[in-house]
Amino acid sequence: MKPRTGMRLVLLALLALLCAVADLLAGPALSPSGVWEVLTGGGGTVERHLVLQLRLPRLLVALGAGAALGVAGLVLQFALRNPLAGPEVTGVTPGAVLGAVTASGLGLAGWESPAAVTTAACLGGFAGAGLLWLLAGLSRGDAATTAVYGVLVSAVLGGLTAMMLTAAPGQLGSVVQWLIGTTEGRVWEHWHFLWPWTLLWIVLAGLLAGPLTLLRCGDEQASAAGLAPGPARGAALVCSVALTAGAVSAVGALGFVGLLVPHLALAVFGADLRVALPGAALTGAVVVCGADAAAQLLSRALADLLDSDRLTLPVGALTTCVGAALLLLVVRRRPGETH
Amino acid sequence: MSEPEPLGITAEGVSFGYPGRPVLRGVDLRIEPAQLVAMIGLNGCGKSTLLRLFAGLLRPEGGRVLVGGRDVAELSRREAARRVALLHQAAPQVPGMTVRQLVRQGRYAARGPLGMLREGDDAVSRRALRDVGVEDWADRPVDALSGGERQRVRLAMALAQDTRVLLLDEPTTYLDLRHQLDVLQTVVRLREERGLTVVMVLHDLAHAARFAERLIALRDGRVVADGPPQTVVTPELLAGALDVAGRVGRDPEGGWPVCYPDHPLPIEK
Repeated sequence: MKPRTGMRLVLLALLALLCAVADLLAGPALSPSGVWEVLTGGGGTVERHLVLQLRLPRLLVALGAGAALGVAGLVLQFALRNPLAGPEVTGVTPGAVLGAVTASGLGLAGWESPAAVTTAACLGGFAGAGLLWLLAGLSRGDAATTAVYGVLVSAVLGGLTAMMLTAAPGQLGSVVQWLIGTTEGRVWEHWHFLWPWTLLWIVLAGLLAGPLTLLRCGDEQASAAGLAPGPARGAALVCSVALTAGAVSAVGALGFVGLLVPHLALAVFGADLRVALPGAALTGAVVVCGADAAAQLLSRALADLLDSDRLTLPVGALTTCVGAALLLLVVRRRPGETH
Repeated sequence: MSEPEPLGITAEGVSFGYPGRPVLRGVDLRIEPAQLVAMIGLNGCGKSTLLRLFAGLLRPEGGRVLVGGRDVAELSRREAARRVALLHQAAPQVPGMTVRQLVRQGRYAARGPLGMLREGDDAVSRRALRDVGVEDWADRPVDALSGGERQRVRLAMALAQDTRVLLLDEPTTYLDLRHQLDVLQTVVRLREERGLTVVMVLHDLAHAARFAERLIALRDGRVVADGPPQTVVTPELLAGALDVAGRVGRDPEGGWPVCYPDHPLPIEK
């Protein structure tokens, strides 16, 4: 590893720490000094509960989900050789949401059982990716065609999710969180499931670094060099769907994170996956945690402005809005580079 | 590095086709070890398909292809890639990848999936960069290179496979004359230095006649001419294999055949 890339990883890790601190301090009803008091072992029961049982797990879940989405997107873009691929636009995220919503609508899973939700989200994610595969042929079409089919598949899956919501309106309140993506009310249970799951699949994605790099050179070159593209791509998809499903079941569908974080990571770290994969994990963590802190601060500002203390801005709304703007930049910057 | 023994290729009654379109109809060939062979023929005559069958990338419908005595279709993808390297005609862009990274990808079959995680390139990748003279720009991004430079880099990636057999599918297409000669002379030199068995598909009959020691012409999935360019390149070959009326002379200095194509022949129905 070159010293410069090592330095960048360290800087990014520091940035993640900074975002984490900001996220910890950003919430309402407790001053920074109050948070510090709790962290150093003091504070009252209410303050301790607020920091240790609500803010800390929420912050960790934001970091973990961001890392999972960043790596999921990078793996997907390498495996499909498509810079416009992301879990959100290949049917994986909307499929995972549909899976999670269906499972909880049928009473098979709920917010409080992350493992069951993740399993359902995985199944949904595979179904979504499978649907796109049937329609577009994941590797055959050019990037733009696949993206168009991806939007189509996502719309269909979103429609099905909406039908599930109408069929089971009782679940509406908690289920809507999956649609936008929020870190509100994430507790230790979510974190305890999320981190080993995410770590496992990121390590497996790391083991695929060699085949993924070769896949990027095109199927013909890859197979001439000794890689069977089909199985390698399949393994990468499994990794990507599992990571996305983990993130979706923890925080819901955070718009554009999986699509755009890889672009940031590749711009900073280059195409060497040995650095770019941990880089994408860190970048994703920074982005989601930073967005969560920003969303909380904005919520407080808006609440003050509108004089309504019930107003909260979900982090997913923020990533979607900022992400849409960034996506425009990405598309405009590389009009010809669709492969 | 690999065993010094050169490998030959044997095609025994090889046929191959896509639904409703037969491509190869019973090809029998023996490519001797360390031979430099050029294949010519019209578009769609089956020459590129034959190269893919030689590399084990396609499985013949009938017959078999032996590389060094082993049926290449029975080998795993990695085993086949340790014996045969194939440079495809075109390759997609590889945004962000440097020359060194791309060439190192040629080591995949030798190192295995986890070997790619190790830092640094080994002696073979460095030699491949040197072989085609690109070590000076090893850290430049591939996509920033010119077409000729990129072709040399891709040749280096194939050479990094360190195989005894090198297959080239139209390696000079899209290159200017200077870079065409550059690539072909590199291939000739490497074959002399290392005893590589080289089969290349060429569209340019002048290059084929000049650089190859053996020329194979395909027509409609069959071998219609096979031999040293001195004897094979005739007006009859131009007409029979390439649908072109023309004359054939000799290079005044080197003595190899030179073609003067005159006009395309009318298509027979």
